[in-house]
Amino acid sequence: MMPHAVSSLLHMEQVNTEDCEGVSAGAFVFQSRPNHSLTHRQQQLVLWSLATVCFATASGFALLGYWLILPFAGLEIGLLAWALETLRSREGDYETLTIEGDVIVLEWHAGTHGERREMNRQWARVICDCGTSGRNCRLSLSSHGRETKVGQYLSDEARLQLAATLRRKLQA
Amino acid sequence: MSDAAHAHDDHGHHAHPTGIMRWLTTTNHKDIGSLYLWFSLIMLFTAGSMALLIRSELFEPGMQLMHPDFFNQLTTMHGLIMIFGVIMPAFTGFANWQVPLMIGAPDMAFPRMNNWSFWLLPVAGIMLLGSFWLPGGAVAGGWTMYPPLFIQGGVSYDLTILAIHIMGLSSIMGSINIITTILNMRAPGLTLMKMPMFVWTWLITAYLLIATMPVLAGAVTMLLTDRNFGTHFFNAAGGGDPVMFQHIFWFFGHPEVYILILPAFGIISQIIPTFSRKPLFGYASMVYATASIAILSFTVWAHHMFAVGMPVAAQLFFMFSTMLIAVPTGVKVFNWVATMWKGSLTFETPMLFAIAFVCLFTIGGFSGLVLAMAPVDIQLQDTYYVVAHFHYVLVSGALFSIFAGIYYWLPKWTGHMYNETLGKTHFWLSVIGMNIVFFPMHFLGLAGMPRRIPDYALQFTEFNQIATVGAFIFGFSQLIFLVLVLKTIKGGAKASDQVWEGAQGLEWTVPSPAPYHTFETAPVVK
Repeated sequence: MMPHAVSSLLHMEQVNTEDCEGVSAGAFVFQSRPNHSLTHRQQQLVLWSLATVCFATASGFALLGYWLILPFAGLEIGLLAWALETLRSREGDYETLTIEGDVIVLEWHAGTHGERREMNRQWARVICDCGTSGRNCRLSLSSHGRETKVGQYLSDEARLQLAATLRRKLQA
Repeated sequence: MSDAAHAHDDHGHHAHPTGIMRWLTTTNHKDIGSLYLWFSLIMLFTAGSMALLIRSELFEPGMQLMHPDFFNQLTTMHGLIMIFGVIMPAFTGFANWQVPLMIGAPDMAFPRMNNWSFWLLPVAGIMLLGSFWLPGGAVAGGWTMYPPLFIQGGVSYDLTILAIHIMGLSSIMGSINIITTILNMRAPGLTLMKMPMFVWTWLITAYLLIATMPVLAGAVTMLLTDRNFGTHFFNAAGGGDPVMFQHIFWFFGHPEVYILILPAFGIISQIIPTFSRKPLFGYASMVYATASIAILSFTVWAHHMFAVGMPVAAQLFFMFSTMLIAVPTGVKVFNWVATMWKGSLTFETPMLFAIAFVCLFTIGGFSGLVLAMAPVDIQLQDTYYVVAHFHYVLVSGALFSIFAGIYYWLPKWTGHMYNETLGKTHFWLSVIGMNIVFFPMHFLGLAGMPRRIPDYALQFTEFNQIATVGAFIFGFSQLIFLVLVLKTIKGGAKASDQVWEGAQGLEWTVPSPAPYHTFETAPVVK
């Protein structure tokens, strides 16, 4: 049992800031990123602790002539290293939505891929539709026949909140 | 929208595949958890049917129903399937369902790898079961695969080695997923020492799996090369050492025992506080005890091999290190009892199974202490006393904790309350049946009845008949469980979000049934 209480699920970790670098004071900036609770140092600790145990065991048996454990230990630790490296590469993932003057800028970065799209505020429309249960909500911005989804790291509730905020901002 | 943008946003919020494709292609942790649990249940009935055949043959001395070689095949496959096809997948199913919900993560860290981890299992299961129809039948040398028997067997032995490799790969991928999910996807504020015990026990179990699986993979590969490529790792005829296989196997095998029981400790540590309406007594000591058990599990392997002959110093070392494990295990049992002490206890089915676990697992633990003593073990090695011991650990321990966990979380999974009367009927028949099967086996073992034999001396008849009657009570009472699960999935009283009055943790803050997607925004734990 967890010894401490849990806060409301609607609490949002994402940053909703008006004073990001590189944008004017009046701009609206909404940035979200996935949650990472493991630091790079801790990742290294996990990898090396397991690698040490696996290779020490496998080497011990190899010294006795039973060397076929060693390649399996290598493969397994290789897979673990790949998994941790993949997690590390996701640490920089983010999604940023900026409304500054008449320009809306959507930027996102996932793994090695980065993308940026600009649209005119006057032509942009907020589209938000949910499943019949009020869940599985999809939020996107549409302009000139192109639809771009936003809020990939958000819950349904947070997407609905963001949709309302965006509608207000676009009408202002 | 660009392709990258499509990829960026492709969450499948709409247009989920339906029918069989949903299950084949799913990357959702709840779907995959359900698949693991259903696979485990099917395998439970398969390997359980084998057990009933075994017990039917043993109802009377002499050969009644089957050829001795088929009896050996059933014994071997019963063990292999129960361990690798029932207990391990069931706990992985729990991990898939519960770990993301308990740590506030939207899914597992590697959802596609999670899909592969599961779908490798049925392939391995089919290989194992299919080997019954191969020339010479299935493997018959015991689940421990000792040479020289394992080197001399037919083609099914090669197929079994391949199946073990596949199951090992599945376990490794599952473990890496669980470790990365727990460590990297915990909700903000959920520090390691605030994690639910079930999450802790699975984290340590995943470490154990990663540490030991290469040893098993290497061992069975060396068996394979001995069989097919002229090597002599374990082939005494070519200068190899068959006893070394036992060392290598049990270096994997004993941590494997804790792989089979640590998640059970975690489930029980969730259930007892809920129905005692008190926090878990000694949370930190539970965490340290779990870690101690895991570490000590690497130092005790040769207690399975006292009878092969080893120096007295080695016997003493392995005897005392084995006894030492009773200390952290005792801490756990003490903490469970202390949690119940002066609690507002109620006895719903999950709690009944949890209390039965504490009592009966302790019996298995005590018989383990008896077997830890080298001079006693040499007398009891390969007798029914050992069979009684490990069934008290794995049936009333691991399997009962699985039942307890399913009753505990089924309302959260399905959105419906199960039928309490059916649940309690299942509980009492299981507890009574289980004790009727396995308790007399202690007496059989002490009287000298060897394990893995299809025939026995006349003086063992009565206890064997009692055990067989108990096996049928226990076996058929599991049909009640199947009916209960199907009824609960189909309908029943609506479960609240909290489900149990005393339940605490993130999983109880989401609706019942838990939505397909949960915690897309991480909650904050204070």
